[in-house]
Amino acid sequence: MIELDLELPLAGFALRVATRIDGGVTAVMGPSGSGKTSLLEAVAGLRRAARGRLALDGDVLLDSARGVALPPEARRVGYVPQDAGLFPHLSAGDNVRFGTRADAAAVASAVATLEIGGLLERYPASLSGGEKQRVALARALATRPRLLLLDEPLAALDVALRERILPYLLRVRDEWKTPALYVTHNVGEALALAGGVLLLRAGRVEAQGSPFDLLASTGLAAASPLGVENLLPGRVSAHDAEGGVTTVELGTGLALAAPLASERAVGSRVVAAVRAEDVIVARRALEGLSARNLFEARVAALSRTGSDVTLRCATPASGPEWIVRVTPAAVASLELAVGQTVFLAVKSHSVRLV
Amino acid sequence: MLALPLVLPPTAVGLVLLEALGRRAPLGGWLARQGLEVVFTWKAVVLAMAVMSFPLLVRSARTAFEEVDPRLVGLARTLGLGPLAAFRRVTLPLAWRGLLAGVVLAYSRALGEFGATVMVAGNIPGRTRTLSLAIFHENQLGRDDRALVLAGVTCVLAFAALWTAELVTHRRARRAAA
Repeated sequence: MIELDLELPLAGFALRVATRIDGGVTAVMGPSGSGKTSLLEAVAGLRRAARGRLALDGDVLLDSARGVALPPEARRVGYVPQDAGLFPHLSAGDNVRFGTRADAAAVASAVATLEIGGLLERYPASLSGGEKQRVALARALATRPRLLLLDEPLAALDVALRERILPYLLRVRDEWKTPALYVTHNVGEALALAGGVLLLRAGRVEAQGSPFDLLASTGLAAASPLGVENLLPGRVSAHDAEGGVTTVELGTGLALAAPLASERAVGSRVVAAVRAEDVIVARRALEGLSARNLFEARVAALSRTGSDVTLRCATPASGPEWIVRVTPAAVASLELAVGQTVFLAVKSHSVRLV
Repeated sequence: MLALPLVLPPTAVGLVLLEALGRRAPLGGWLARQGLEVVFTWKAVVLAMAVMSFPLLVRSARTAFEEVDPRLVGLARTLGLGPLAAFRRVTLPLAWRGLLAGVVLAYSRALGEFGATVMVAGNIPGRTRTLSLAIFHENQLGRDDRALVLAGVTCVLAFAALWTAELVTHRRARRAAA
């Protein structure tokens, strides 16, 4: 748990953040210049002007009233800046091994999680943007940090690369279980990765809550040009070359049919991406439909997001939650309301494996 | 203040050093009582060369250090390194090429130092006669052939320094780009 009560003068305004953040990944969102990077740097101990109090799992890192301000090296937080910040004079391997607490076991484990074993001999100048980010993440993880600070790790990458890195972030979240503050502009990323969102505006906390609840806030909807995607981690369970279908078993046991992707080995990890507007909602059980994926679900939340209505649908047996976008007209004609049972349909061609 | 030797005529700097370190001056007198004779000894040569070339070294070093991204140093700190360790493992290796360039520049300046040396150390054969002074001396005596040989020696020394610096920096650059 992170207890924050920070004050940091910036050019033009002061950053004032007082909140508590429980474990898991928390997305830090807000318009450019709202103080997101400064917040991460203050937590890391890189902003000496920061005043107030900061505690991590009860350990005080900063308490200016009592004259306590731990230097960055004593805070045990892992920081990954937007441009990865690799040391250019060291090979990727030496970068990963750089931290003073990076013992051999932690290094090996971080290298395996991020699949960078083949890059270790190379120098940062010869790595692609996505490879740099993976090496930088491994370098931070190898020190076994108590908190990860990720500053838009995907922002510098194009859309295709972004999708290739996202599964690694999910894996870090699920396997290392290190709490993280994750700066992003992308609502889809926040929904896929974060359990909570801290929305900043001009240095103040404008809102804090679950990513879905904050979708209704115009600030977040406007910050999402790429739309909202359901990102569901799972494993390839079977290929049906005849039927043109690859089956993905989601973490919760639910099976999802995707277009044939025989280049993915059975058992390999994938993330199934489904755009929120590609999910069809029905009030009655569907029959005789070409869509391969049919689920029964319950409407858990419903909120107006811009010109659309966004639903959060829970599937029984604690399946994944689906974010679904429909028009207000559809809500009216189906008489959708919270608590209702609905049937969701997803064409296999709406499922992309990333 | 540090840049003063860069803009003043070397003979003026040498004169100031001579006045400050002479036996009648407070500093020179005190040094003499400690048994340290500076003026007109090899120590004066070293001092003159150091005073004249140090500003060049400092300027290059400052530029080299300023070119190191401070965020990389901050990152090293978050990875558990104290300020000194971060300097040794990040700042120094990244500033290394600029530092070396500064050393070569300062070395070349010292090699060519004439005015300040001749003022504060004199031109004593076998004791304070540097290569630069010797070239002038031989030329004054009309022995241009010997002066030319000495000039050739300075060329070799200067080129050796430049070549070593190029070799070291290029090898590091190639490795970083590979």
